[in-house]
Amino acid sequence: MKKLVALFLALAMMMSLSIVFAEEHKEVTLTMSSIWSAETEANRAPFLKTLAEFEEAYPWIHIEMDWNEANAWKDKGENLALSDSLPDVFYWNAGGVLWNLVGSGDILALNDYLTDDIMARIEGGTLTDMTFDGKVYQLPYTKACSALYCNMELFDKYSVKIPETWDDLIEAVKAFKAAGVTPMTVGGSDQWPTNMYTDIIALRFAGDAACRACYYKTEGATFMTQDWLDGMSAFKELIDLGAFPADAASLTRDESEVAYFAGEIPMYVHGQWFAGSLSPEMQQKVKAVKFPTVAGKKTDNQWMGGAAEGFCVSSYTKNPDEAFILCQFLAENQSKNGFIAGAGLPAWKYDFSAYTDINPVLLQIVEATSNAESFLLWGNTALTGEDATLIGQTVYQVLAGEITPEQWCEDMETIFQ
Amino acid sequence: MKRVLSNKWSIAVFVLPTVLFFSYIVIVPIVKTALFSLLNEIPAKVHDQSHFVGLQNYITMFTPGRRNEFPGAVSNSLLYAAVSVFIQLPFSLLISLILANGVKGENLYRNVFFIPVIISSVVVSLLWQRIYKGLLPTLLEQLSIPIPQNGFLGNKELKIWAVSLPSLWQYVGYHMLLMYGALRSISTDVMEAATMDGASGARMAFKIQIPMIKPMLKVCISFSLIGSFKLFDTPWILLERANKQFPALSMYVEMFSNHKYSYASAQAMFIVFECLAFTLLLNFMFRERQEKGMIPEGSKSERE
Repeated sequence: MKKLVALFLALAMMMSLSIVFAEEHKEVTLTMSSIWSAETEANRAPFLKTLAEFEEAYPWIHIEMDWNEANAWKDKGENLALSDSLPDVFYWNAGGVLWNLVGSGDILALNDYLTDDIMARIEGGTLTDMTFDGKVYQLPYTKACSALYCNMELFDKYSVKIPETWDDLIEAVKAFKAAGVTPMTVGGSDQWPTNMYTDIIALRFAGDAACRACYYKTEGATFMTQDWLDGMSAFKELIDLGAFPADAASLTRDESEVAYFAGEIPMYVHGQWFAGSLSPEMQQKVKAVKFPTVAGKKTDNQWMGGAAEGFCVSSYTKNPDEAFILCQFLAENQSKNGFIAGAGLPAWKYDFSAYTDINPVLLQIVEATSNAESFLLWGNTALTGEDATLIGQTVYQVLAGEITPEQWCEDMETIFQ
Repeated sequence: MKRVLSNKWSIAVFVLPTVLFFSYIVIVPIVKTALFSLLNEIPAKVHDQSHFVGLQNYITMFTPGRRNEFPGAVSNSLLYAAVSVFIQLPFSLLISLILANGVKGENLYRNVFFIPVIISSVVVSLLWQRIYKGLLPTLLEQLSIPIPQNGFLGNKELKIWAVSLPSLWQYVGYHMLLMYGALRSISTDVMEAATMDGASGARMAFKIQIPMIKPMLKVCISFSLIGSFKLFDTPWILLERANKQFPALSMYVEMFSNHKYSYASAQAMFIVFECLAFTLLLNFMFRERQEKGMIPEGSKSERE
């Protein structure tokens, strides 16, 4: 009889425990959108690893993934926001585009969830473009910046020096052209790869303060200055020298990078994520350096980039607690996995000393940016809606020879009207 | 049954579901779009800030300015329509006449010309993208002919033609099949009589066959014009995001990239009115010709 009572009590205890456990970890399914649908994306493999780690750590939270391409997701996300249909957790850019969704009440402020412990693990300064009125709306998974990727094999073959100043760059372009080599590449028809060039050139000529004022539409800001004009004229000079392929305006980013990956193009300006797309063989040939400086402008150590990408939680999610767990886990672990895979710079603190095989090109960028004076978000990220479309279209038109640098300044000035 | 069909109320009861359904999915959206086009631009989800601005969006649409690309988009669509009507359709007519007059392998040719129609526009666009970015430049290079600056899809003057060509090529077979069907339905008695009277092939084509398929030509022109004004998929894929080259593209960019809903609604209404206006104009032109006796009695009775 005693045995029976003991068995009964043990069973009752197990059942009550299982009920408690089930209540603590009720099964939840969250929807999630990411932009790394293409196998070639440097962030895809580390993101898949991050997802697998999450499933192992939180087996009761299930994820319904929606894979997209970056440009397509930008349009799709904005339209989903109009009908309050954004997924529970999703990839989004920081700056102006984030502010658009914050303004329309689509994004959950994360302050209530951000403990001191979590805040201490985030790299300083990375929340700047993700915070509005003291509220944090996004968690970064990477710090971005653009760099000049030089194929050292071609530089050595044609005895060309890595450009450190604007004059060096012009000399390098001329030297490669004379040798029958196309000096640079750009995917004009995607528009934003051209912004990579124009933004950094404008930064070198006009400086962080003037560019920031225009991109964030500060009162009194203007594109009608000699510095802006000099910057766009300098970009036009590159075009006129034949720095880019003859059909650059009709190439997509993927198409434009084919020749670079084949070792036929010596220079390319692009984001740090490009380092993750380089094969191990190419990583040994490529050196990432700071974009050439302009004498007398005092903008030598200013960089384009910053924490421009992260994960958000929609304000209408039915499971905000679990959505935050997913958002925070993805941001922190994608930061780690992305850096190890060579896809990006970390936005969260982590001891990487145990990893000896990190992408050398990415380490060069870390080294080059270690004493950066400032980071400025790219124009098409900082600006929003029609203004973001305009800056993309107008730099395309300069590349295609449809408008002059003067007309570019006039066109961009219309964003203040 | 006759009593039921002669009672207008009975007819109304049968027609009502269709009318309601059609109104809900066609008329209501058009009316809502028309109303939106008369409002100011409002921030997303803040509808209480909207107010009536009359025809301001329509005026903005055609206000001259270097950055106003809509008038250029309209003229591009008109140019495309002209090329469709004056080059694509005559070419389709020529092929259909040749096939209808009996050639060896008629079925094979008919199917070959129709194959592009059954291929998705996306596939056709990607196919032509490969031609413009790979095959054609390589060919020109081999022949030492200079490649246009910025390539075929980046050159300001060439790209309108480059994006038009795939659609024109794709739908040649479609119009050919419509005309071929109409030509085949012409009574053999008429053709035999003409042959016995000694009419040549060209004379029969111009004096008998073409006049007798005028109703079908009208249909083809209508399809061609409306298709031109609504053109979207091919230029969207070929030119990626870098364009507002045609009215439908401009409307899409304004609506979904720039979030200017009222302005995009005005552009949408313009496209609707443009299609309606040209359809009415076409009806008027063909009616005029019928009244003047341009269409032979034979063809009228054939239709009846």
